[in-house]
Amino acid sequence: MPILHLQYNDQDRTVDGKRYRLSPLSVLHEKGPCIQITSCVASSIAEQLLQQGIAVPAPLPGIALIDTGASTTCIDMKIAAQLNLPVIDVVKIASASHTSIVQNVHPVMIEVVGVGIRIDIPHAIGANLAPHGLAALIGRDFLQRCTLFYNGPTGEITLSI
Amino acid sequence: MLEEELEYYERNLSDWLNHYPGKFVAVVGQDVLGFFDTIDDALQAGARQVGLGSFLVRRIQEVEENVSIPALSLGIIYADSAPPIQ
Repeated sequence: MPILHLQYNDQDRTVDGKRYRLSPLSVLHEKGPCIQITSCVASSIAEQLLQQGIAVPAPLPGIALIDTGASTTCIDMKIAAQLNLPVIDVVKIASASHTSIVQNVHPVMIEVVGVGIRIDIPHAIGANLAPHGLAALIGRDFLQRCTLFYNGPTGEITLSI
Repeated sequence: MLEEELEYYERNLSDWLNHYPGKFVAVVGQDVLGFFDTIDDALQAGARQVGLGSFLVRRIQEVEENVSIPALSLGIIYADSAPPIQ
């Protein structure tokens, strides 16, 4: 059974420039449960392309934030463009600055790096995540296939399928 | 994007609801590629026709499924533009 277990570590600097280690608890609290992923076109489409002799774009790496508040996974729109992901629908999303905005929907496969967790998300929403350093927001459509254990006091998460 | 397909879907939805409720339809332009039991089958049909081109895949149902992404809706993450410069 593929299991990802992470304890978060990071460093910061004091005002006089000295490095110091942040506690796993504070890193997980401040940055949230981030994981390394690769994204590529959904497997059903990749299979069909290969049968036709069409090259499948290579997976792209990035950081994803696990967002249990999101019903649907989002993929960075620049990554979606680089991967040539087809647009298969559009959705309207309410936003703070607009009444609603229309976003593209893409079929994507997300793999958690190093543990072999691969999940197809046929309806991932394109969003501008790159300015936040993110390739994806992992939503509940991904998590419905997983077990997620968030250990705040120790700054650890465990994700398995 | 997909304006023609979406217009075609809306125009035919009531008829499709009578004949194919709950199925997934794949549409390119005004051509229906088929009605499928699974979204994977609909995606394969679309890819067979247009490769990595765009096509509409939607479940035939009266009420569309709700999408809730508070990080986008509340502006914590901006869906369509870079965050304001601080």
